[in-house]
Amino acid sequence: MKIVVAYKWAANPQDASVAPNGAVDWSRAKYAVSEYDPVAIELARQLADATGAELIGVSVGEKQVASPMAKKAALSRGLDKLVLVADDALAGAGPVKFGLVLAEVIKGIGDVDLVLAGDSSIDVGQQTVPAVIAGALGWPTVSQVTKVSGTAGDLTVERNFQGGSQVLKATGPVVLSAAADAVTPRVPGMKDILAAGKKPAEEVPYSAPQLGSAVEVTGQSKLTLKARKGHLIDAADPAAAATTLVGALKATINL
Amino acid sequence: MTNIWIVAVGAAGIENLVTTAQQIGGDLTAAVVGERAIADAVAASGVDKVVWFGDPGSAPLEAFSGPVGDAVAAARPDVVLVPARNADRAIAGAVAAKLAAPLYTMITDVATAAGVTTVTHSTFGGIAEETVKVTGPVVLVAEGGAVISGGSAPIETVDAAADTTLTVVESRPAEHAAVDLSKAKRIVSIGRGLKSKDDLALVEALASALGAEISCSRPLAEGVDWFSHDRYVGVTGQHVAPDLYLAIGISGQLQHVVGARGAGTIVVVNSDKDAPYFSECDYGIVGDLYTIVPAITEALK
Repeated sequence: MKIVVAYKWAANPQDASVAPNGAVDWSRAKYAVSEYDPVAIELARQLADATGAELIGVSVGEKQVASPMAKKAALSRGLDKLVLVADDALAGAGPVKFGLVLAEVIKGIGDVDLVLAGDSSIDVGQQTVPAVIAGALGWPTVSQVTKVSGTAGDLTVERNFQGGSQVLKATGPVVLSAAADAVTPRVPGMKDILAAGKKPAEEVPYSAPQLGSAVEVTGQSKLTLKARKGHLIDAADPAAAATTLVGALKATINL
Repeated sequence: MTNIWIVAVGAAGIENLVTTAQQIGGDLTAAVVGERAIADAVAASGVDKVVWFGDPGSAPLEAFSGPVGDAVAAARPDVVLVPARNADRAIAGAVAAKLAAPLYTMITDVATAAGVTTVTHSTFGGIAEETVKVTGPVVLVAEGGAVISGGSAPIETVDAAADTTLTVVESRPAEHAAVDLSKAKRIVSIGRGLKSKDDLALVEALASALGAEISCSRPLAEGVDWFSHDRYVGVTGQHVAPDLYLAIGISGQLQHVVGARGAGTIVVVNSDKDAPYFSECDYGIVGDLYTIVPAITEALK
């Protein structure tokens, strides 16, 4: 059985800065395996251990996706090997382009039975890529997955559903995105990090997907946010602070 | 004539999308997956036509992504509008893949002229904004909104070959009704500043005194499980726009703040004077929530 985890090498936008002209500067941000992806890797690792499946990490993005640090960070979390597209042509790519390129890599690997992905990426958070991968492969997709078991052609999937849960059966290949709290991922230890250095990582050349639309960026800016009062109330005396606050709210929003 | 499609999967709440479609202007068709009652409700919501993919029976609605993707792509739409719900997103992915069209969320403006759609949207989870001109189809994901009625559109039924490799084996319903925070006028929101689930009582007392709903930051709905998933506010959670949003013990990480940016007045209570949320509040109190929150409750009496 072959399991792929599609993961992202990304930074928290909290650590990026936005210039007055709207350009986003990531140079001081720290890149890592995107926050919720290790949950997907852990779910996949547990299934791979139960079935003897091969667990392949797939990621696409700019050159740094294939840096030694990035590869080690991903492999140390329990993947057996990596297949990567690392090309600066992917700078500024949106989730659909990423999904289409990931799908091509997965097709190239061949005979993949299951693709797992994280709940959402730390830098974009649109929850789109897994569904695009599935759409491009012609597979069904399920999100908010908390458990997966079984074997190729006979998978049992549990997912959060409308406040409760559902158990589904997949008799064919499927793309699953893991709920952010599905499992607690293992923290890589020294052994895992050292072992990561010995695991294979293959790079596949970038092949631009055929796109249905031409996109031109015509403007970038800092967000035009609602102006906020920024009125800080001294809390040396909590009761007085509370009275001040309630008074202000009564005056401004008719509390 | 601009060709606009709405996708509705398992629920008929599309008011926000219908309004957006009317602002763009053009022919409006809805692709509906779910029971006949959903198709009927969508047909009454102001669209010009409904394409219904038949009774799903016990099939999971995600099994329809193939036929819906094919049908929408074949229609050569200019704009596809999709509600920000799990099942709809699953199908939106197939639509976007088959169209090989860009997909945007957090949209603040959209207009189409002569086959070119101009979209203004937030980027990177809400740190910046971008305007793009799209020549060709574009997929936009946004809050669906309420179920509305007043219209009457014909329903065309498509004999859809749903993917039979995915089936439902067991359903365990929710233990309590879903909460819709999008309509709440006042919200008290609690974050990791709260030390224990037992301390929720003081938050509940404040919410009660204010006549407010309670929401939380994501960590309190995941991992610790103090709240159900439909109670967390954030980029991947609830997006709320109350008159008053009282954020207690929430530092103000971007992923959270984005969910409440529509609030009229934001009040922040946090013991950390450097908490990012203080730079995006109307009123801020730097203090211990365990003394400040009861003090506010008291001041409201």
